[in-house]
Amino acid sequence: MTSARSFAALTLLAGVAAAALFILHLGLGTVWIPPDRVILALADRSTDPTDLSIVRELRLPRAILGLLVGCMLGLSGALLQVVMRNRLAEPGLTGVSTGGILAAVLFLAGTWGLPPPGRFLPFVVLLGALAGGILVLFASSTRGRIDPLRLVLTAVIVNAIFGSLTSIVMLRSQQALGSILSWLIGSLNGRVWDDVWLALPWAAVGIPAGLLAARPANVLQLDDESGRALGLPLQPARIALFGLAAVLAAGAVSVAGAIAFVGLMAPNAARAIVGADARRVLPLSALIGCVLLLAADLVAQSLSIKPPIPSSSYRVGLPVGAVLAVFGAPLLIILIRRSIR
Amino acid sequence: MNDVEPLRLAQVSAGYGQRMVLDGLDMGLRQGTITAIVGPNGSGKSTVIRAMARLLPTRSGVVLLDGRDIRSFGSRGIARLVSVLPQSPSSPPGLTVRELVELGRFPHTGLFGRVGVEGARAVESALTLTGLSDFAERPLDELSGGERQRAWIALALAQGAGTLLLDEPTTFLDVRHQFEVLDLIASLCASRGMTVVMVLHDLVHAANYAGRVVVMDSGRIVADGAPSTVLTAELMRTVFGVAAKIFTNPESGRSICLPIGTGRS
Repeated sequence: MTSARSFAALTLLAGVAAAALFILHLGLGTVWIPPDRVILALADRSTDPTDLSIVRELRLPRAILGLLVGCMLGLSGALLQVVMRNRLAEPGLTGVSTGGILAAVLFLAGTWGLPPPGRFLPFVVLLGALAGGILVLFASSTRGRIDPLRLVLTAVIVNAIFGSLTSIVMLRSQQALGSILSWLIGSLNGRVWDDVWLALPWAAVGIPAGLLAARPANVLQLDDESGRALGLPLQPARIALFGLAAVLAAGAVSVAGAIAFVGLMAPNAARAIVGADARRVLPLSALIGCVLLLAADLVAQSLSIKPPIPSSSYRVGLPVGAVLAVFGAPLLIILIRRSIR
Repeated sequence: MNDVEPLRLAQVSAGYGQRMVLDGLDMGLRQGTITAIVGPNGSGKSTVIRAMARLLPTRSGVVLLDGRDIRSFGSRGIARLVSVLPQSPSSPPGLTVRELVELGRFPHTGLFGRVGVEGARAVESALTLTGLSDFAERPLDELSGGERQRAWIALALAQGAGTLLLDEPTTFLDVRHQFEVLDLIASLCASRGMTVVMVLHDLVHAANYAGRVVVMDSGRIVADGAPSTVLTAELMRTVFGVAAKIFTNPESGRSICLPIGTGRS
C-alpha cells in the first residue's frame, strides 16, 4: 500500500508546514521575535518577560485562530463539495457565510445595550448559515442536480442581497457599527483569547465529526442509484453533512467574519494531490486550510506592519480575507472555465 | 433452506408519480441462475430491477428477499444480500479502482467503520475475479469502458451479496468488451453460485448467456422460459414490432434470433 504511505508522508508534510507557519506567525509583528525565542516563550521557558507577554498574550490567540478557522473552512468546503457534487461549493460561495453574518448583524443590532451576546453568537450565525445555504441550494438546483454556473450566479445574487441587508441593518443602528465592522470584513486582526474560547468548542465538535463522515461522504460521491444500492439513505446523509459544514462555517465566521476562498482552494488542492477518496480529501483539506490561512495572514500582517508610533493601533491592518481573495479569485475563474467547458 | 428463492416479486405494482409502470407482476428467481429481462423501451425492465432492490417502493404486492418481506430489512441489510449495478453509474474524477471497490464494503461496516481484514479480503478477491488487480491503483476515468464496467462489477462483488442485478451492463461497450463482461458474469454465476438478473437489449446475448429469458411489454411479463422457446418470430413481431429469423448457433446449439427489419418495407 504505497499510496497509504505517501498519504501519511503528505499529511506529515502539511502538518510540519502548518507548524512552521505557526511559529513564524508568532514571531511576526511590530517587533520581530526569532523562532527559537518564540518556542522558548511558548514552552514558558523564556526569561524575557516581553517575549512571554507578546507571544503568549498578544499573538498566540490570533495564530491559534488562524489554525482553527483555516481548518474549519477547509473541511467545511470539502463537505459542501461532496453534498453539492460541485467543485465550486464553499461556505463563501453558497450563502452560508453571508447568511451567518446577516443573522449575526441582525442579532447584534437587536440586542444592542443588552449584555454582550458572547456564546450565543455562533448559534445565531449557524441559523443564518443554514438558511443562507438552503436558499442557495434550492435556487440553484434543477431536479436535484446543481448546475455549477447556476450555483455561482445564485450565490453572487444572494450574497449581494445579504450584503446590502447587512449594510442597511448596520446603518440603522449606528452605535454598533464599529465593533461589527472590525469583524465583518474577514479578518484576524486584534483577536484575543476570548475569541479562541468562542471558536474552540465548535472546532472540537465539528472537526472530528467532519472527518468521521468520510465513508458516507464517499458513497454520496457516487451517482444516486449506486449510493442507495449500497444502503445509504441519501437525503438524511446529505442533510447531516450539510449541517456539519454549516456548523464548521458558523464557528469560523463567528470569530473571523466572512473569509472566502479557503474553503474553495483547500479541497481543490487536496483533490489534485490525493484524488477523490474522502478518507484522504477531508483531512488533507483541513490541513491545507490551516496552511493557507496562516500563510495569508502572515502576508496580511507583514504588509500592515507600522513603525511603533504610540498613537497607532494594532487593530488597523490588512484583512486576511483580502489577501486570500487575490489568490482565490483567479482559481475560481479557472475552475469555472473548466466546469462549463 | 436452499429451496427458498433469493428473490420473488408477488403481485407487484410500482411506478413513478402518477404513472404506473409495473402492473401486478409475478416473478421468482432460482438460486444460481442467470435470467435476462428483455423488452421494448419503457416496458418496465429497469423498474423490475429497482423494485427487486427496494430502490423503488412498491404500490401494492410484496417483494420477498430470502422469503422475507423486503420492507422488514434495513437499507444496508438489503445491500448485503442484493447488489445492483445501475445503467449509468458515475464516480468522482480521480477515484481509483480500489477505492471504488472498497465502497462495496459499506453495507458491512458501521457508518464510520473501517474496511477491516475480512473486507480487505473481499476487495482483493473481487479485484482478482474481475482481472483488475493490476489496475487497482489507477483512476477509474483513465480506464477503457470495458475495464470501468468490470470495476463496477467488482464493487458489486465486494459487497458479498448472493444476488446481482445488472441494468444494461453492456450498453456502451464495443462488442469485444460486451463479451468480456458477459463471460465474467457467467463465470461468477458458475463459480460462486450467484443469482444474476440482467436487463439486456441485445437478444443474441440474452439467448447466449441466460438460462431463462423474461420478455416484458407494458409492465407485464408476456413470455418467460428458456431462450429457444421464448424468442420466436411470432414474439418478435408482436412485442418488438420487427420481423425476425431464428437460427441455431452451430457452436453452442443455442438459438439465435436475428431481427431483419420492421417488416414494413
